[in-house]
Amino acid sequence: MDSRTKVLIRCRNRLLAQLIHRMLSKRTEFDAVALEGQFGPMDCGHSPARSVVVLDSLDFFLERSKADSSRGSDAGAVKYLLIAMEDDHGDFLAAVRCGVLGYVLQDASAADILAAVRAVAAGQATCPPGYMAVLFNYIAGRSDKSRKGRGRGQWGLTRREQQVIPLIGRGLTNKEIAAHFNLSERTVKNHIHRILKKVGASDRLDLYEVWQNRAAPTGGTMAN
Amino acid sequence: MKPIRVLVANRPRVIRELMVAAIADQPDIEVVGEVDDESGIVRAVDETRPDFLIVALDRHDALPRFCQPILQAYPQLKIIAIAPDRNTSVFYWASLQVESNPIEASETGVLNALRSIRQSGMRVQ
Repeated sequence: MDSRTKVLIRCRNRLLAQLIHRMLSKRTEFDAVALEGQFGPMDCGHSPARSVVVLDSLDFFLERSKADSSRGSDAGAVKYLLIAMEDDHGDFLAAVRCGVLGYVLQDASAADILAAVRAVAAGQATCPPGYMAVLFNYIAGRSDKSRKGRGRGQWGLTRREQQVIPLIGRGLTNKEIAAHFNLSERTVKNHIHRILKKVGASDRLDLYEVWQNRAAPTGGTMAN
Repeated sequence: MKPIRVLVANRPRVIRELMVAAIADQPDIEVVGEVDDESGIVRAVDETRPDFLIVALDRHDALPRFCQPILQAYPQLKIIAIAPDRNTSVFYWASLQVESNPIEASETGVLNALRSIRQSGMRVQ
């Protein structure tokens, strides 16, 4: 039985993918494969528990959420590592919510990436040291908002505004949300502006988290 | 035949480091230096006199700002600029003025460009 860790490299940046593949292929502990083409659920061809998927964009998860409904999900089966990421706390938190186990920034070294692949393969979470505080602050802030949300009770969201929020949570852009409801992008922008104001959220990520913490099965109070 | 001498100065760090490692595996290509800060490129070119300089391409439609003076000072030098976040790369050289040509933004594309440009002169297709 092959005891190597299967590493699937699925980066939008072709040069990065090839160079990572070259680096990992020199290590006998890895069976590295550079994949090209559309994102979607992946056949690991290997024990999923020992597989790591290396990505350089959150777009994969958006594509996956679209594909999952018809093709089945690989969520939970493989371990995801995001590399060469911009220094953006929002992206980091979104990645954590998507189930990513490792997060490496653009200014990381090749050795950092190698260490991250090993850590993620072993089932350990890894991120830049400074990002641990982001996680702690986020969790602390979410608890506060959750308590306030429950106390406040009603936001007075319209039916459409409630329909928009889950799509925001799936990472859809205004344009994609507009296409989903057959609305103009400007209308969606106005909806989101009003939702943020009503809910008291600072941005889309914040909004979705507040919504998730508060939401009852009916999705809140409507004010049509 | 003398090895192709390359100064690697592109971003992000991980691609630069891996590019250096990939070139080190090539028997006919030699890395003469690695620069992690754009402000150090001119001095590094002056000190190492490479055949090629690899830099980051921030805007596909614009020559990286430090390239023009370098190509004027070192007209034999060829520059390969690689976009850090896109599958795009451009090759620059100086004749009467600075000229450019796209090359494939892949490991093979860049390595082949180094060889073919050195062998055939200027243009790659």
